[in-house]
Amino acid sequence: MTLAPGPASPRRALSRFRRHFGTDYPAMLALAVLALMAFGAIFAPWLAPYDPLHIELTRIMQPPGSMHWFGTDGQGRDIFSRVLFGLRLTSLIGFAAIAIGGAIGTAAGSIAAFYPRLDGLIMRVMDVLLSFPAILFGLAVAAIIGAGTLSVVIALAISTIPLAARIARGAALTVIAQDYIAAGRVVGLTDAGLLLRYVLPNCLSTIVVFLTLRLGQAILLAASLGFLGLGTQPPTPELGTMAAQGVNFFFFAPHVTIIPSLVIFALVLATNILGDFLRDVLDPRLAA
Amino acid sequence: MLKYTVQRLLLAIPVVFGVLLIGFALLNLVPSDPATIRAGPTASADVIAQIRSEMGLDRPLWEQFLRYVGSVLRGDLGTSLVNNMSVAEELSRSFLATLELIALCLIWAVPMAILLGVVAAISRGGILDRLIISGAVAGISLPAFLIGMALLWVFGFKLQWLPFTGRGGPLWTVDGLRHAILPSICLGLIFIGPVARITRTSMLEVLGADHIRTARAKGLAESVIVGRHALRNALIPVTTLIGLQIGYLLGGAIVTETIFSWPGVGRLAVGAIVANDLPVAQGAIIALALGFIAINIIVDLLYAVLDPRIQAR
Repeated sequence: MTLAPGPASPRRALSRFRRHFGTDYPAMLALAVLALMAFGAIFAPWLAPYDPLHIELTRIMQPPGSMHWFGTDGQGRDIFSRVLFGLRLTSLIGFAAIAIGGAIGTAAGSIAAFYPRLDGLIMRVMDVLLSFPAILFGLAVAAIIGAGTLSVVIALAISTIPLAARIARGAALTVIAQDYIAAGRVVGLTDAGLLLRYVLPNCLSTIVVFLTLRLGQAILLAASLGFLGLGTQPPTPELGTMAAQGVNFFFFAPHVTIIPSLVIFALVLATNILGDFLRDVLDPRLAA
Repeated sequence: MLKYTVQRLLLAIPVVFGVLLIGFALLNLVPSDPATIRAGPTASADVIAQIRSEMGLDRPLWEQFLRYVGSVLRGDLGTSLVNNMSVAEELSRSFLATLELIALCLIWAVPMAILLGVVAAISRGGILDRLIISGAVAGISLPAFLIGMALLWVFGFKLQWLPFTGRGGPLWTVDGLRHAILPSICLGLIFIGPVARITRTSMLEVLGADHIRTARAKGLAESVIVGRHALRNALIPVTTLIGLQIGYLLGGAIVTETIFSWPGVGRLAVGAIVANDLPVAQGAIIALALGFIAINIIVDLLYAVLDPRIQAR
């Protein structure tokens, strides 16, 4: 049997998306930039002209040129190749953190909305987590398990949980108040069935929009932790770590720091613009 | 107001407890043994065992936690494993340096952000509005280290207008101020984007309200309408965001201080983590977290003063 469709039907959202997208030039440009970066990151092993880890001490700190499009770093490694691989890792860290934190937060938030008895407890825990800036989790996790890619993912995931929980709880409360949820209860659906089949799918657009907006911040934070030396450790190419490696000879070869930093900027800016666009189309309420 | 203040302080207790628990966990979750680090690489097992019992590491966990809370409340955060200095002393010095930086940043960045937001709102849809909004989106997408390194390159290295490493003394001295300018600009640029954006949104909302229409109908000058009637109302949500952002400035200060070698608590924390100096790392993280909580409380109280409706709730 089918219950009445929820408030945000995918078909309606898709048509709104088409209508808006044709006129929103920044969003189109952002999508193009992201598509290009995704292409570069996915096919990095085939596209990279050099081995990103290969050290060539006779060619250190070369400025950008025809042989090395983005120049070489302090150990003569090709920056363009490292940027392609770095894009891969930096975005992966962002995605992983958002996916893990988003999933746990969504589960916690929707359970809090569904079971009023657990609401107080769950949301108080979230309030405690929310009282810290994400970068502080980065410091704490790095202090506990040591600096590395994993500690950045854990820290960013933890800092995403309370935010996702709040958004999910808010969205779930609206859905739970709908008649079709009451109808579902009457026909004898289990709690789990209601939550998974009806509540969650109807909250999804709100949560996805929020997570897209959060992705840019997560990437920026991952890069910042990398820059501080608390993230991915060299020689593994990660954009923030790469930027940090150029700091010592910044005055002689600024491109070693500036190029990875600009790539991070472009990636985050495109993600933010696209997130704003998705929010306006899919969930205008979040704009308030 | 007193009731609200007490309520707000009570709400902070579980959060502070959480901070202390995390701080305690820091010491206990690390794979390395503090006693072994303190004893040094050549120490015998007996010496390590003796240091373990001196440090209370052989007691049950709950007892260690209570002792830890007690010593934190007394302001005793242990000594650095690297240079044996008192953590509390190092923290108080570096915390002041961080606050100094944040204060200087706020002095110029808050008025600037509000001004930009108001200008964008009044010229809604115009070129100025679009420029400011684009700038704000770009601002929140810029890595702090890119801003910092760019400032350092242009004003420190190329033009040689300002010094760019370390602290030159107290802010009221010329040298102290000169040293603080570049880091405070770096910090402020992270701060302006979100605040300008919310000021614009909030102004647009208020400018559409009934009392503004009435003011216009009365024939008041536009400057009086914007300055006296709209801005004051629009500032309420802006205050909340500024408060939250000040908290995040503590986080942003970590990157800024590292770039400009500013001797603040953020740089202390990063240095301690890299050097495996747990007591200092733990103390700095707790200090940053408590600072963040304190700022949030102050902002909430300020918010209640600005908007009496909050207290009534």
